[in-house]
Amino acid sequence: MNKHYQIAVLGAGPGGYVAALKASQLGASVAIVEKGPLGGTCLNNGCIPSKALLASAELMHHIHHAAEMGIEVPSGANVNWAKIQSRKDKVLQTLRTGIKGLLGARKVTIYTGRGSLAGAGKVTVAEAGETKQLTADKIILAPGSVPSVIPGWPTEASVIGTSDEALHWKTLPQKLLIVGGGVIGCEFACMMQALGVEVTVVEMLPQILPNMDAEMAGTLAGIFAGRGIKILTGTKIEDLSLGAGGATAKLGNGETIACDRVLVATGRRPNTAGAGFETVGLTTDRGFVRVNDRMETGTKDIFCIGDANGRCLLAHAASAQGVTAAENALGHESEFRAPIPNAVYTFPEVSSVGLTVEQARAAGIPVSVGKFPLSYLGKALAANAGEGFVKVVRHRETDQLLGVHMLGHNVTECIAAAGALLHRQATVREVAETVFAHPTISEAVKEAAEDALAMGLHLPPRKVLRLASGVR
Amino acid sequence: MNMATLTLPKSGASAASATVLRWFRKVGDSVKKGELLLEAETDAGLIGVESAVEGILRENLAPVGKTMNPGDALAVIDPLGSIGETVPQQLITLEGKSVTKKKAPGGKVIPILMPKAGQSMEEGVIVKWHVSPGAQVTKGTVIFEIETDKATIEIEATDSGRLARIVVPDGGSSVVLKPVAYLAEKDEDVDAYIAEEGDGGAPVEAGVDVPQAVATGLDRDGRTIAPAVTTETGRVKASPAARKFAAERGIDLASIGAGSGPEGRILSTDVPKQAPGRPVGSSSLQTGLPAGVVVNRMSNMRKAIARNLTLSKTTIPHWYLRSCVNAGELMSFYRSQKARIGCSVNDVIVMACARAIMEFPLMHSRVDGESIIQFSGANIGIAVGMDDGLVVPVLMHAEKLTLADLAMETKRLASQARAGKIENMGMGVFTISNLGMYGVEDFVAIVNPPEAAILAVGAVHEAVVVKDGAMRPGQQLNLTLSADHRLIDGTLGAQFMARLKAILENPSQLIS
Repeated sequence: MNKHYQIAVLGAGPGGYVAALKASQLGASVAIVEKGPLGGTCLNNGCIPSKALLASAELMHHIHHAAEMGIEVPSGANVNWAKIQSRKDKVLQTLRTGIKGLLGARKVTIYTGRGSLAGAGKVTVAEAGETKQLTADKIILAPGSVPSVIPGWPTEASVIGTSDEALHWKTLPQKLLIVGGGVIGCEFACMMQALGVEVTVVEMLPQILPNMDAEMAGTLAGIFAGRGIKILTGTKIEDLSLGAGGATAKLGNGETIACDRVLVATGRRPNTAGAGFETVGLTTDRGFVRVNDRMETGTKDIFCIGDANGRCLLAHAASAQGVTAAENALGHESEFRAPIPNAVYTFPEVSSVGLTVEQARAAGIPVSVGKFPLSYLGKALAANAGEGFVKVVRHRETDQLLGVHMLGHNVTECIAAAGALLHRQATVREVAETVFAHPTISEAVKEAAEDALAMGLHLPPRKVLRLASGVR
Repeated sequence: MNMATLTLPKSGASAASATVLRWFRKVGDSVKKGELLLEAETDAGLIGVESAVEGILRENLAPVGKTMNPGDALAVIDPLGSIGETVPQQLITLEGKSVTKKKAPGGKVIPILMPKAGQSMEEGVIVKWHVSPGAQVTKGTVIFEIETDKATIEIEATDSGRLARIVVPDGGSSVVLKPVAYLAEKDEDVDAYIAEEGDGGAPVEAGVDVPQAVATGLDRDGRTIAPAVTTETGRVKASPAARKFAAERGIDLASIGAGSGPEGRILSTDVPKQAPGRPVGSSSLQTGLPAGVVVNRMSNMRKAIARNLTLSKTTIPHWYLRSCVNAGELMSFYRSQKARIGCSVNDVIVMACARAIMEFPLMHSRVDGESIIQFSGANIGIAVGMDDGLVVPVLMHAEKLTLADLAMETKRLASQARAGKIENMGMGVFTISNLGMYGVEDFVAIVNPPEAAILAVGAVHEAVVVKDGAMRPGQQLNLTLSADHRLIDGTLGAQFMARLKAILENPSQLIS
């Protein structure tokens, strides 16, 4: 006899497990199916392990700069990669236990194994040759994504890997080639450099952090270059070959780069193959399951959330979508519309929400831009973190806040407020009129908002080109 | 005198557009040559535009937020208005707008235009014409009433003459500043005039004067409401959240009035929880209606009823008392008096109420804010049902009238009301609503604000009357008093009802 549930969730990442908790909170009987450890990419191969490693790397970075702060560290600050790794593993274990506890407390049944669809309302769970069946009124797909690999490249695991492997490398490389200057590439570059690795980043597009504010990406690239990270943008790798003790890359500009380890960070692809979608007539578009704002797929009673629907490959987007899907699956009207902030945990950090200047202009929106450098900010200087700036994008005609982009110390903690203001469609004047605590990094948001209105007080007066009017 | 129009200069080599960020001068200010008028934003940065002319700023043609190209008009400057000299503000608005001087083929024709009452008004509905074609109108008399989305406004003629033709009849609507009628000696002149004007789009002539009340609007008590603050482009100033709530709740932002935000901006907290007279979410009612439904615009009377009764039910703490009157004596008294003076049962009840009311000062009082206003007499409203609603004319000093006078006066008030004239409106302290003639035994009425109580009168009906332990057939009358608890407490209400019951059960005292 198959067990029946109101809701079955396939995948226990930050989308799936949140959807399961929400469905249970709304009173449904819920099953969740996961083949790997709970927490999905975010907890096991993404957000959390990378932050744990970055925290160690940032501490090392501070130790290198301790003398500037009047702290004399005796020579001999060494990196113990094995200990860094085991501390990270402990963090992951704690959080996995936490998710298990949360699911248990809400009486969500956990099925371990690979879940796939087996016709309308039917799910098969396969583990170690055994299969179980369960049925459900509604199914929420949350299969997530996996790192892209480059077809035709060598696969020697001791030399070449994706973030899945690199986060758990047993040893540190000496010379690391990072293919792709996106969020993952930048975080690894920053982390590895601080831990003493010689890093080269090769990005095909004209800037690192493509899709983010170009000035911000350029400034971060400059900071990285100052630390000795070699960044090559607008550059293609023509060929990668294995050699003694590592690999050699031939670049489009004729240069060759020798390294002992390669991290491929060129993006992620949906993990939707072989999950029985054809049994319910569910189709994919380049692997992604297209959904509407209610997270409904083209097939009745099947929802898809997170990376697999291709809307936004971020953990917090997946969680928000999970809540939306669970609510709709249980008859509560819900739509996923809120702006999704981006956060990059390099040091200095990068965060943004809403439109960039480039995106707004491309959409034909007349914008004005306000900018405030952190080097003018008391808190930033006090913390020896004057690098970076905040940029506010404003609709010139309606005064609406369109986007906030931040580069600097702790800015990932400041972006939530900007996201809330954006979601509430605040005007830039309202942001400028809001009182921010002093001294904080977030004050720069207010200052940049004032600058967007050409009424900043902590900046020199804006240059005004004075012209005599025409007369008719 | 030649007005100078200032235009947006070209900034640098590019002909990029600029969005106005702020003005440094307002209409009416004097400006010197070279003085900074405004700042505007271009993709390349800020530009400051200086006045190329000295004079008085007469018109601002580029409101904040407007994007313009080089050469576009920014402002009108009156170079003759030298500093220190005061020039009447209307100078510009009157200029070149007189239609009467227009050469028309044939005799003089004056179009009467739908006035633009308030910045947001785009269209008006003519509720009623007060004059008929052919009549002579004199300047200053009310010639028609219009209804906008905010108010009903009486429109006075600004010219005298013969009303030759009405082109927008009662109930018709017209966009603002379009002719609704024509003044002319001969009808043919109107034909010729219309033929020449084409679509009738006459140049703007101040054909009608909008009374000042229009611009501000009057609330139901005649107090003025501050108008909603609008930007120079006519958009009501409101926060995005307020806009969202207003849209969700089906509320016109302009109807809210000035908000509590900076410069009168409407904030989300200023948006009422629900639209007046509508359940929450009814804004979507008009979508998804089944075939065959008819959507009609509410009449003014319906709107007034909706407004008043919603106000009453939502702001007056109603409470209710029910009394059952043994109506045997009442009916024999009524029959004897009907034969004598032709009164109705209701007249007897009105008279009884008037007597009872005068015995309790708070029963002829009402609440006004934090004051209690005591009236000298029992001014009783008589609810008069009509085809499209109900009205409540008021019988003044009912306590002083004999039953015969009361019956006659009530009849007169009701027939006047049905003819459209509601006497002594707003002077009442108490209303009587009687549905007995429809066989209704019992109902509960809503207090008619600003009064403090209303009596719902049911039908006199046959019932088993228990008296001294014995059941016998008899007649009963159910009365339900709805009272404003801010004024009328339990004891008072009960005492009043007991007194009323006593009078009705022994009605001969009414004529003694």
